[in-house]
Amino acid sequence: MQGKNVAGEEIKLKRIEDCLWEIPRQGGMRVPGRIYATEKLVADLKEDNSLRQVMNVAHLPGIVGYSLAMPDIHWGYGFPIGGVAAMDFDDGVVSPGGVGYDINCGVRLVKTSLVFNEINEKIPQIVETLFSLIPSGVGAEGAIPKLSKENEKRLLRDGARWAVEHGYGRAEDLEFMEEGGRLESADAELLSDRALERGLKQVGTLGSGNHFLEIGRVDEIYLPHVANALGLFPNQVVILIHTGSRGLGYQTCEDFLKVMNHAMAKYGIQLPDRQLACTPIRSAEGQDYLSAMAAAANYAWVNRQVIMSLAEKAFLRALSISPAELGFSLIYDVCHNIAKIEEHMVDGKKRRLCVHRKGATRAFPPGHAQVPNAYRQLGQPILIPGDMGRYSYLLVGTEAAMAKTFGSTCHGAGRVMSRAQSKKQSRGIDIDQEMARRGVVARYQGRATMAEEMPHAYKDVAEVVETMDLAGISKKVARLRPVGVIKG
Amino acid sequence: MSERGPGVREIDHTADLGIEVEAAHLPQLFSAVAEAFYGLIADPEGIEPSEEIEVSAKGEGWEELLHSWLCELLAQFNLKGFVGKQCEVTTIEPGRVEARVKGERLDLKRHRFYTEIKGVTYHGFRVWQQDGKWHARVIFDV
Repeated sequence: MQGKNVAGEEIKLKRIEDCLWEIPRQGGMRVPGRIYATEKLVADLKEDNSLRQVMNVAHLPGIVGYSLAMPDIHWGYGFPIGGVAAMDFDDGVVSPGGVGYDINCGVRLVKTSLVFNEINEKIPQIVETLFSLIPSGVGAEGAIPKLSKENEKRLLRDGARWAVEHGYGRAEDLEFMEEGGRLESADAELLSDRALERGLKQVGTLGSGNHFLEIGRVDEIYLPHVANALGLFPNQVVILIHTGSRGLGYQTCEDFLKVMNHAMAKYGIQLPDRQLACTPIRSAEGQDYLSAMAAAANYAWVNRQVIMSLAEKAFLRALSISPAELGFSLIYDVCHNIAKIEEHMVDGKKRRLCVHRKGATRAFPPGHAQVPNAYRQLGQPILIPGDMGRYSYLLVGTEAAMAKTFGSTCHGAGRVMSRAQSKKQSRGIDIDQEMARRGVVARYQGRATMAEEMPHAYKDVAEVVETMDLAGISKKVARLRPVGVIKG
Repeated sequence: MSERGPGVREIDHTADLGIEVEAAHLPQLFSAVAEAFYGLIADPEGIEPSEEIEVSAKGEGWEELLHSWLCELLAQFNLKGFVGKQCEVTTIEPGRVEARVKGERLDLKRHRFYTEIKGVTYHGFRVWQQDGKWHARVIFDV
């Protein structure tokens, strides 16, 4: 299959499997590119620059196997969004652009004991209370007033544990986050004053753009034994939280892009796009970035933990019930913008790799040591938010993911429309009415953000998730339908 | 692409927002890029030039300088909520730029807010001269 992208170039794709395509190695590419997509999704890709970006990533020193793209791939900057690149720990590079500005942007899913039909009339009230308790939107601040600089550094070191120790959530929550909600290599001293200052007031805030908190109901179950083991039942009320490290993470990315852009020449690295700026993993700059990134990742876990705790408070207040009746409990928390040091089998040999996932989710199989004990037989839960009007999915990881994608899968719907196009299409639409028509009560800070994020701007997440299911990389467990949403 | 005032075009990019700016000379390029940048954050119509701040940046080469300059403006927005309306470049020489920016702090009740900008990317970042004019192309992560 072929077609011309926005730059007028034609990138030829070779079909490997039903839902897998390859860009053969050419020019300065060190490995081929591989894209998971249905025929329909591939047709959309030819129109933008994302395939070129898959090729550019293949130029990075030490890249192993393939420059990979998940079916929600869309045109990013440097790395495509939906990109996965694994680098050899000894010979490879680490790239802040392969993680993104929003370090450890991620999603968590919380279950409750509530049945949707029994509380549906109270959804507007719950949404209103959530909106008043969780600071949202641009410049949102103040969920934790008077956070001192020392405490900020502690939370950057300790991650989600810090939040639990300060009364946000419960100790058992920590088990249900990647890395237990804390990357050990974190070093807050490597963050700039500006990053620290930006982080000070934003802990426990949702932010703007595509971030949200969604109340959903379990709409369909595909793997009953897994859903059952996770404590899910039809029509159950669940909460999905999507946010990241806020200004502290963005600033850290910016600071290190600058550092690496200057340092690249020293290491003799030349790249087709400066946004791919990188240095060897073992270099001082590479190690510093990984430790700074880890601190920002810890911040994001604290952020989601605090928001979850505020959400519990909102439900208790709006429904006037006890915590036992509410049964608020974390199912899992995933990161989809991160670089992790992991061990993978490559050509029959165990290798230590730095796996960049930018808009991609870890998808570890049953039996993997990093899957929580309680889920060890099931595989790692994967949370895929769709656009705010349709549905989201819960999946589990598989052995095929380990063999083919360095234990990775998709992360969301992926945009098909630019923000400007989406706004244009939203003109004249009553956003509240449109959301109500879809059965969703929405509260939001800015109309412009909503207009950019309307369902029409996104691919149908069902097709994205289906692609990975057909390819055997992740298996669908349940579909969640939104009934309420708060956004920045 | 869509027009965004004289010399400024918005680039349609699926995930992010970009601008392409054309100006008669270098000081004008820097001020036009700054004003276009603020125009992505909020509707300039509602912003009053009631407060003035001084912003300076350093960087080798015009591209690096423009990038640093935008990062500084973004930092002023992120730390103080400052949104500019008029920008006057007072000094520009190899290695540094200084400017006075008039505007005010974003107030969601009074201003029409558009987009939170997360970062100034290096992706496709360019400053170039063509037909006696200065041009710049910037893609922001939003």
